[in-house]
Amino acid sequence: MLKLINVSKSFSSIEPVLCDINLEINPGDFCIILGNNGCGKSTMLRSVAGEHAIDKGRIIIDGVDLTTRSRAHVVASVTQDINQNTIPSMTLLENMVLSYRRTKTASLRFYRNYKSEILEHLRHFDNSLEQYIDQPLGILSGGQRQMLATLMAIISKPKILLLDEHTSALDHNIQQILMQYTLEQITQQKLTTLMITHKLDDALKYGNRLLMLKRGKIILDVTGAQKAALSIQDLEVSYAH
Amino acid sequence: MHIDLFLTGVLQGLVLALVAYALMIPFRLLNFTDLSAEGAYPLGAAVCASSLLININPLLSILLAAIAAGLVGVATSLIHLRLRVNTILAGIIVSTMVYSISLRIVGKPNVALFDACLLFAHTNVLQNICIVCSIIVALILPCVLFLRTELGLRFLAVGLNPAFAKRQCIVGARYIIGGLFIANFYTGIAAGITVNLQSYMDVGMGVGIVIHALAALMIGECVIGNYNLNRQLLAPLLGALLYQQIQGLVLFLGLAPSDLKFLTGAIVLAVIGLKSKKFAGI
Repeated sequence: MLKLINVSKSFSSIEPVLCDINLEINPGDFCIILGNNGCGKSTMLRSVAGEHAIDKGRIIIDGVDLTTRSRAHVVASVTQDINQNTIPSMTLLENMVLSYRRTKTASLRFYRNYKSEILEHLRHFDNSLEQYIDQPLGILSGGQRQMLATLMAIISKPKILLLDEHTSALDHNIQQILMQYTLEQITQQKLTTLMITHKLDDALKYGNRLLMLKRGKIILDVTGAQKAALSIQDLEVSYAH
Repeated sequence: MHIDLFLTGVLQGLVLALVAYALMIPFRLLNFTDLSAEGAYPLGAAVCASSLLININPLLSILLAAIAAGLVGVATSLIHLRLRVNTILAGIIVSTMVYSISLRIVGKPNVALFDACLLFAHTNVLQNICIVCSIIVALILPCVLFLRTELGLRFLAVGLNPAFAKRQCIVGARYIIGGLFIANFYTGIAAGITVNLQSYMDVGMGVGIVIHALAALMIGECVIGNYNLNRQLLAPLLGALLYQQIQGLVLFLGLAPSDLKFLTGAIVLAVIGLKSKKFAGI
């Protein structure tokens, strides 16, 4: 379980980005996060990932207070910044091995020995990527790299998966494929997932819980039947208020 | 005569190659500008000379020199990581401090080792080249193989994208400390070999070593490029061999030895200029 207790974060003295956030996410929950630009969505995810040190509060994962400790062993995230998600000068195989073996102790085994396992994951996801296995990721398009970044995060088998507008750089078709794959893996691996999106139809279509943030506070938190009963108009009204 | 000059150049080039590797590992693989070779080299020489003076086996003396030099790298990395001191400044501070330690170890600015048991037979340059070649292979081959392992991949990731590496549960500090130890270990080996070759040690022998190694590295990278790992790993060796031949040639043509440091700087600038022109497509 992921617990945020009175989490606050500010980057200046003007206005805090996150104000006393209290949140409990159950294992296996797929939580969609909505909100205007600057409302604190990405800051919340980065705080959970441990990329931002919070000013106040506690972050507890599976009963362990990890507020001041690294969360990299349990949390995997995909951000909008593709340069943070991959190493373009490394090959696809090298990038994938780094993620695939993320939580394992590094060995002196030649990394090419993992090729067949990596290829299996790639084939399951998209056959067309197989041909790039020994090519530097830099030769792929931004969208393809973003797609791989999501795949890399998933194959690293995290307890918590954080997706920050991870499909924003992709065309409609690839978006569908990637979301389908993500959904499949979330269900199979029972991944606790937090996904930021600006697409209201996606927010209604995916996930079992929906959060809306405004000025660093949670203004809407619905689950199950309540979420299913929401319409795009309801969300637009919440956005406007 | 010319062959002798060529072979001496090869021998010196092989020794310089180790320092060029020592520079390349932090600079190119870890993105850590490490100048501690300037202190690690004389420290290694001082430790080696002191060990030889008390009749320690020459190979063991070189190993002790390498460990001492490696610790200089560890000190530089810790100063950078713990005290948040800029990498260049950390290297300069450590090198300056180590100069005093080197003086303490040998007790005087220079030591002659003509009576000591040394690794090299002075009369046979070819034999000396074979010994240095064997040492280089024994040192560089494990490094090449390591970079093809899972651990090596993580090492490379730390240098290429520290933020990404951190998200992959890679503790960058460990790799930086380890990398700088190995790099300066190589410098210590080079210093130990030099002491054995010259039968002489001077605490000032590290002055300018970084710029010499940098010139060698840049020449190597300019000739074969560094756009993949194999080329990057070959560049220091090739560059050092070429650099020493250039030095030998200009000395043979009549350049005063005192002008060599100027020439080294000019070579580095010329290579940088050539590279930037190539990059700009001029």
